[in-house]
Amino acid sequence: MTTVRAVETWTLDPLTTYVTEAGARLVLLMTPAGQVLAQAGFSRAVDVMSASALGAAIMASTNELARQMGQSPFNGLNHQGQRHGIFLSAFVTDRGPLIVLVVYELDVSSLGLVQLFLEQLVADLRAASPKAGATRKVLAADFERELNESLNTLFGR
Amino acid sequence: MSARLVRALDLITRVRGVRGAMVVARADGLVVAEQLMEGIRGNTVAALTASLAGRLHRAMVAAGLGPSQFWHLQCEQGAVLAVPAGAALLIVAVAEPEVNVGLVRLELLRAAEAAV
Amino acid sequence: MSEDIKHLSAELARDPQSLVFLRLGELLRQKRQFEAAARVAVHGLERHEHLADAHDLYARILADRHDYERAFDEWDMTLRIAPHHTGALKGLAFLYFKVGDLAQAEAHLQAAHKIAPDDPSIGQAFAVIRGEAPAPGGEPLPLPVAEHVAPLPDTRVFAGLEGAQEGLLLLDAAGLVLGGALKTQEGADVTEAVAAYLAGVSHEAMRTAKLLGLGGWRGLSAEGQSGHVHLGQPTADSLLLVMRDHAVPLGRLALLAQRAAQAARRWLERQQ
Repeated sequence: MTTVRAVETWTLDPLTTYVTEAGARLVLLMTPAGQVLAQAGFSRAVDVMSASALGAAIMASTNELARQMGQSPFNGLNHQGQRHGIFLSAFVTDRGPLIVLVVYELDVSSLGLVQLFLEQLVADLRAASPKAGATRKVLAADFERELNESLNTLFGR
Repeated sequence: MSARLVRALDLITRVRGVRGAMVVARADGLVVAEQLMEGIRGNTVAALTASLAGRLHRAMVAAGLGPSQFWHLQCEQGAVLAVPAGAALLIVAVAEPEVNVGLVRLELLRAAEAAV
Repeated sequence: MSEDIKHLSAELARDPQSLVFLRLGELLRQKRQFEAAARVAVHGLERHEHLADAHDLYARILADRHDYERAFDEWDMTLRIAPHHTGALKGLAFLYFKVGDLAQAEAHLQAAHKIAPDDPSIGQAFAVIRGEAPAPGGEPLPLPVAEHVAPLPDTRVFAGLEGAQEGLLLLDAAGLVLGGALKTQEGADVTEAVAAYLAGVSHEAMRTAKLLGLGGWRGLSAEGQSGHVHLGQPTADSLLLVMRDHAVPLGRLALLAQRAAQAARRWLERQQ
């Protein structure tokens, strides 16, 4: 069973349910800036950092594309390979805007299942999310410490 | 949606006890075409029936029976019936428990021919 | 014998509760008047449902009519009422022999021999099982004492049912095989391969039924290119797969599945 680890613990239950129901192989929950709130299925910190950075960049690029096309941001993006698919979606909670990146195996899950249970995930996250408080200014020294602490949490160390 | 496919789905939904019919992309579990009564969520039917069809397919091939050509899920308060249409599609009907299975099966097979 | 039959028939007519039906039914069976014998046996069972000999009589008639599934049920019931009934043990040995399960056939005859060591009919069955003598229709032959003690009927879930070793499979909730086996038409054993997939199929069936608001799932039937299957749940934490070739239509397959489910439930109850 895929283990879910969360920096922000309110995401744990919704994400655990989602991973099971959708049959997802890997999941990242992050802010549009790429800050990871929770992950499932990753075994290396470098993979989490790469995936979150790339995922956030992809969403930013496609949002810009949508803006230039004169329409609202896309609900979701799907990239499908031979054996895996990658799905990205953005939504808003009281915590702020979030992005979910899902990697699924084509012989275990499907785009339909990933999207179907995403609705419930979003609803659960919205129900569980803390209210938005005052934004804390992050200093450079704090940033590295917080990043290391987050990575330790995300990998159960 | 082609006229033939529309007609085929129409014939399925005309069978007494059928609450809806749809064409599903097997690999993605997404809706291709649908005619559903109120209260049936097409994306839910599509995703779950495609997933069930895939798992059943693997079990039947392992049993040496070849791919499934028709399946019927019997439930306490209804039924789901499906036939494949080529390699990519699935024709699905959601029905009441007392539906005439033979008749639905016939119409599903006709719809599968129309879809391919 | 005809005079005996007339005499016993008259006595049974005078006193329907009489146990003469046992002798009458046996005589009719020996004369191969199976319809009449069955009527007499059923008549007797309606009045003496807890009489082991009545079930044994009916089982012998059913076996003579090649209705082995029901014969198994009746001998099984006989043993429930009277665990040391040698007639039922010999009868079950015969059924196991018929389906090719020689180990179980030998075990049952050994059990019968322990109860009735002087029964000459038991001694000859060994020869039949080992191919040293032909098996007469409907009666198991005697068997000498086997050197080991083998398990009793419980180890074969579907013993006596058609297709027990190639078209019936019972799994627990984790997908582990409890009994039965699956073979392709070419004879390849696919039990483990199929078992590995069935837990996933049943989970998805349950989820589909639930999320579509259709309640619990009761069964899943499917037609393949070269055969049909029916998947069901005899109990909440077990799965039963019945597989047959195209000659058996889906409707008939569902009936077979009901029968197999009954056998599975009885066997599961005995394991507790």
